[in-house]
Amino acid sequence: MPRAWKSPVTLRDTAPTSSAQQQVLPFAEPALLAKPLSVTPTQVRRLWFCIWLSNLPLEACQASDEALAIVEDQHGIHRVLQADSVAAAAGIMPGQSANAALALLPALRLEERSLVREQQVLEALATWLEQFSSFVSIAGKDVLLLEIAGSLRLFGGLSNLRRQVSQGLGAQGFSAAMAIAPTPLAATWLARAGRRVCIRAEENLGPALRKLPLDCLDWPAGQRESLAGMGIASIGDCLRLPRGGFARRFGAERLLELDRALGHLPDPRDSWRAPERFCADYEMTEEQSDSELLLHICRELLLSHEQFLLLRQLGTQRLCFSFFHLKSTATELRLGSAFADRSQERWFDLLKIRFETLRLPEPVIAVRLRSGLSQPLQAETARLCFDNKAGNERRRYSIAQLAERLVARIGEQSVNALTMVAEHRPEYAWKVQNPLSDWSASTLTTRDSIKRPLWMLPEPALLPADSGYPLHKGCRLTLLEGPERLETGWWDEQSISRDYYTAVNDAGIRLWIFRNRQRTPNWYLHGIFG
Amino acid sequence: MSLEKVLENPRVWRGSSQVGTRSGLASGYPELDRCLPGGGWPPEALTEILIGQYGIGELRLLMPALARLSAEEAQTYCGEHTEPRWIAWVDPPFQPYAPALQQCGIDLSRVLIVRPKDDSELLWSAEQALSSGTCAAVLLWPVSLDDQASRRLQLAAEKGHSWAIAFRPLSARQQSSAAALRLELQSTEQGTRVHILKNRGGRPAVLDSLL
Repeated sequence: MPRAWKSPVTLRDTAPTSSAQQQVLPFAEPALLAKPLSVTPTQVRRLWFCIWLSNLPLEACQASDEALAIVEDQHGIHRVLQADSVAAAAGIMPGQSANAALALLPALRLEERSLVREQQVLEALATWLEQFSSFVSIAGKDVLLLEIAGSLRLFGGLSNLRRQVSQGLGAQGFSAAMAIAPTPLAATWLARAGRRVCIRAEENLGPALRKLPLDCLDWPAGQRESLAGMGIASIGDCLRLPRGGFARRFGAERLLELDRALGHLPDPRDSWRAPERFCADYEMTEEQSDSELLLHICRELLLSHEQFLLLRQLGTQRLCFSFFHLKSTATELRLGSAFADRSQERWFDLLKIRFETLRLPEPVIAVRLRSGLSQPLQAETARLCFDNKAGNERRRYSIAQLAERLVARIGEQSVNALTMVAEHRPEYAWKVQNPLSDWSASTLTTRDSIKRPLWMLPEPALLPADSGYPLHKGCRLTLLEGPERLETGWWDEQSISRDYYTAVNDAGIRLWIFRNRQRTPNWYLHGIFG
Repeated sequence: MSLEKVLENPRVWRGSSQVGTRSGLASGYPELDRCLPGGGWPPEALTEILIGQYGIGELRLLMPALARLSAEEAQTYCGEHTEPRWIAWVDPPFQPYAPALQQCGIDLSRVLIVRPKDDSELLWSAEQALSSGTCAAVLLWPVSLDDQASRRLQLAAEKGHSWAIAFRPLSARQQSSAAALRLELQSTEQGTRVHILKNRGGRPAVLDSLL
């Protein structure tokens, strides 16, 4: 986060009324800018890198071979906002109506402008830009700002950094105008004016800005027109106007903007923070049911997921894929891992196991990948392996990996570890553990010296009795040992009072049976000694 | 045709090559150990135990060896430090009772219970567990196990240096199997009789009242 600028004029940043404005803002004389109004934050040298994505509406659309034009509803008529190079070569210009454009080029693909999509693209780019700076800001609909003073050394100087950013943007299919200046607004205006400049010293800022035409300002068209009517063509002309009159006519906000651009007023920005949970969609142009293709899409999503976590040094234990269909509700596929991980390969391995058994009710139109809570990644030190062969053959993967593969295929409820519970009631003396949670070794040892059966029935089974003796499969059981009386559990609803015996049937199978002492004295089979 | 040529033919089986040089896993029953080549359960192989009903001593027969495997400390093998290995139970017919396992000397912190939904999942799970190299022993209760499946389990056991134990009904006696050792357990008046049906590198035998 940027250090708050302690400036005595911060109060002016609040939106003032026009009458108050006159008192606060001193009237300008021609040489106003020679002596700064306020204390400029010269202690912290800042450098703002502005990326203006002028063709964002066009580039936010998925690329295809056809000629493409973006249309926007203007006063009830669909007009062309932007056209790609193929369409422009056919004579399609911004401002044309959609019908005129189609008349010129019948094969033209028309897309409605989607601000939501543009915002998503902008956020994705901001996330991507976080690798270059700790401070990335989204300014408006098509402008990204990076504070790069702190990044110059790491990226080997300004020109290197600029080249890396521009190459990265180019590889993602974006054309951008870039400019660098000590204030964010100046950088924005320079970029919008198409000046590929880099102004590092604040004293060079004024002269450079003065020359800029008013077109590069993001001011309402009416104001720009009336300024043009007054013979004001550049920012320099604006600055020569009396400040009071300027504020009255065009609003104090415009004047403040000029001051901020010149660095006379602080211009704090919001830092973009990418969400800590990953969520990405992949939309297809038509329904698909080919599992190879779907797996490939999932792999792409996992790759960007890995990139996302890599930037944050995080890992996650849970993932959820949603496959959207046109009619049916989305099919969900959840994956779990024994420890936090981000590696695309491991997740893809698990996904493949699950995907084999996944039944999709319909073809898929979109895939979404959401990650669970991310947690700091515990990096493992890779071992130096001198004897590569023996190590690899001996142990292919750890027990955690085995457990997560099993869970991925047959479900979390079906893979368990065992642990002991300090409890005298036989059915509560143990419990299952989730294999994906921490493998906590139970330190508890059984205190019963009397032998317990290896097999336990899920529920005690009622045994028929013949004159008080229990029968098993029609023949009388011989009691070998017992009774062992267990009378406990009064503190909850499940209290027991039983006499346990070891019995043997005529086939020589030893059974663990008990006689209930509460209510009716029935015999039950509870375990088999195995 | 020379003798070498004949021996190269994969259809020619030579008894001497089958006798493992590795020592067996002591079963805890000296009488049984004497009948088994290597003096114990065949390690890294599939053992089949045919039983008519559960509870006639099939687990008691295995427990001493399983306890020894479970008590294995972290060891250094081929210059590599390995963690103590696990015992996996794939689709047991009842719940293995934790206190009893502990009484038998099994380390509960390294017991994995897998409950697959059907036989194909069961075989898949068992194969994964065997070949992972993290399980010292894998016990499984398949509904049916054909020749091909037993072959796969045998290979997985060899790959993961693991001991596979499949429990099968008496009706499986007539089926062929790739298991290295096949036992049949029958209860008699004197106790449980162990009949060694197939014994790779050894001879079939009958042990009365072993348990």
